[in-house]
Amino acid sequence: MKIPISHKATRRNQRWFFAIMIVLFIPCAFYLKLSYSQFMDGVGRVPDIVKQFLHISLEDLPTLLTELLTSLIIAFLSVIISVFLSLLLSFLIADSTAPNRLIAKGLRLIVVIVRTIPTTIWVLLAVASMGFGSMAGVLGLLFPTTSFLIKSFTAQIDETGKDSVEAIRALGGTWWHVVFNGAIPTLYTTFLALIAFNFEITVAETVILGMVGAGGIGVLLQEYISYYEFAPLLMGILVVFITLFILELVTNRIRKRLADNAR
Amino acid sequence: MKRAEMIARQKKAKRLLSLFLFVAATIFSIWFIKFDIVAFFNGIPLFLNFLFVDFMPPNVNDLAKYVRPVLDTLAFGVVATVISSVIALVIAFLMAHNTAPHPVVRVALRSVVSFIRNVPFLVWASILVVLFGVGTMPGIFALISLGIGFLARLYAESIEEIDKHAVEAVEATGATYLQKLKQAIIPQFMPGYISWTLFMFEITIRASAILGLVGAGGIGSQIKLTMDLFQYSKTATVVTIMILMILAVEYVTQRIRERLL
Repeated sequence: MKIPISHKATRRNQRWFFAIMIVLFIPCAFYLKLSYSQFMDGVGRVPDIVKQFLHISLEDLPTLLTELLTSLIIAFLSVIISVFLSLLLSFLIADSTAPNRLIAKGLRLIVVIVRTIPTTIWVLLAVASMGFGSMAGVLGLLFPTTSFLIKSFTAQIDETGKDSVEAIRALGGTWWHVVFNGAIPTLYTTFLALIAFNFEITVAETVILGMVGAGGIGVLLQEYISYYEFAPLLMGILVVFITLFILELVTNRIRKRLADNAR
Repeated sequence: MKRAEMIARQKKAKRLLSLFLFVAATIFSIWFIKFDIVAFFNGIPLFLNFLFVDFMPPNVNDLAKYVRPVLDTLAFGVVATVISSVIALVIAFLMAHNTAPHPVVRVALRSVVSFIRNVPFLVWASILVVLFGVGTMPGIFALISLGIGFLARLYAESIEEIDKHAVEAVEATGATYLQKLKQAIIPQFMPGYISWTLFMFEITIRASAILGLVGAGGIGSQIKLTMDLFQYSKTATVVTIMILMILAVEYVTQRIRERLL
């Protein structure tokens, strides 16, 4: 006799999950009317485009690198400004440090809304308001980065900072004492790790943002694509890939070291 | 005592040095991209003014027109999530430490996935638009590439995290590779799989809002269209619809997660 060892309800629920996935998938796939001939046409074009991609040229490398630096700088500046803004606002929002419940609630709602709008849309709006260029990039990035940092900062303040905040409060410390002598010193390393992580995300995003007109290497990539210049495009993609790859390694190392330090 | 003092002094010097480097980097950055601080901070109220005056009130006259893009976006999300989760599942089993058939396969797949993930999504989308022409197809494929890069890594991480003992126990009974997968690994990996797949669906909804910018369909195309025509009150409506859609999807997936996990 077979003895079932898995949890029945879990199994049943999981079956439901897959059933619904398939039931949703089939009508959606038909709804989109993907045409086979379009697909084959596209695939037929692949060898030709690959051939064009492989004309490796180092000609555009200097321009690519300068624009890459611009991208990095846009990310850097927007992260710096966001750190200041979010440090200010997080302590007004976090449950354990909020001076006023109502203001905290209102700010929280705004942060949720800001976070929901994708970064690209923010940048698009900033470009429409400020015109093309890196300043629009910094402005557009400011909103998503700040809201991301506020969300992670407040979570940390409420989670790990609680004890020191309570201790200072019990001693009769004022709000300033709570923030500057309690929360910030305890959370210093965690905040730095979050900022490093955020910087990594932001750099990845600035590359994209150039493509909607906010300066940096994305502008070049967009130009290459629209003029079908695949050789420099490959170079650009490689530059982006290597940068993001190195950044991933570095931030992982920083986070690891900070985690070790904190222990 | 002296040693402690020295260490303290070194720490202080280090802190000063990093502060100095930070300030230098900031100044260099401002100079390099000719960042005009005054203009920037003057621009912020202008920007807010732009948001709240030019965009308000949202123009809700032709709501019916947006039904199709919303359905498109949802269908994009479902199709891309399902396809990429199947592909990423196979890749993840081949590239996780404890299930990879051969180290060479593992390393090769890892680098491919890392490449797919680190080339920005919009670049993939633009290249695919060049390949397949404007329409839904490049959008779907761009979302699938996004999903493979994202899910394969997360699935592989969840597979690597599972409890070794069950696997060893099953191995000790002389199970084959596939039996090991089915009896020991898959049951433990299931919650991770479901959770990440739901998360992927949320991401595709956000991403398909962006896809429209390069002509790959979805609700993003409406944003671009209305902004190019300076019909900002319509843009506001589209953005609102998008926010509601994202929040609704997040709510639903959260409920499913609570039920299943």
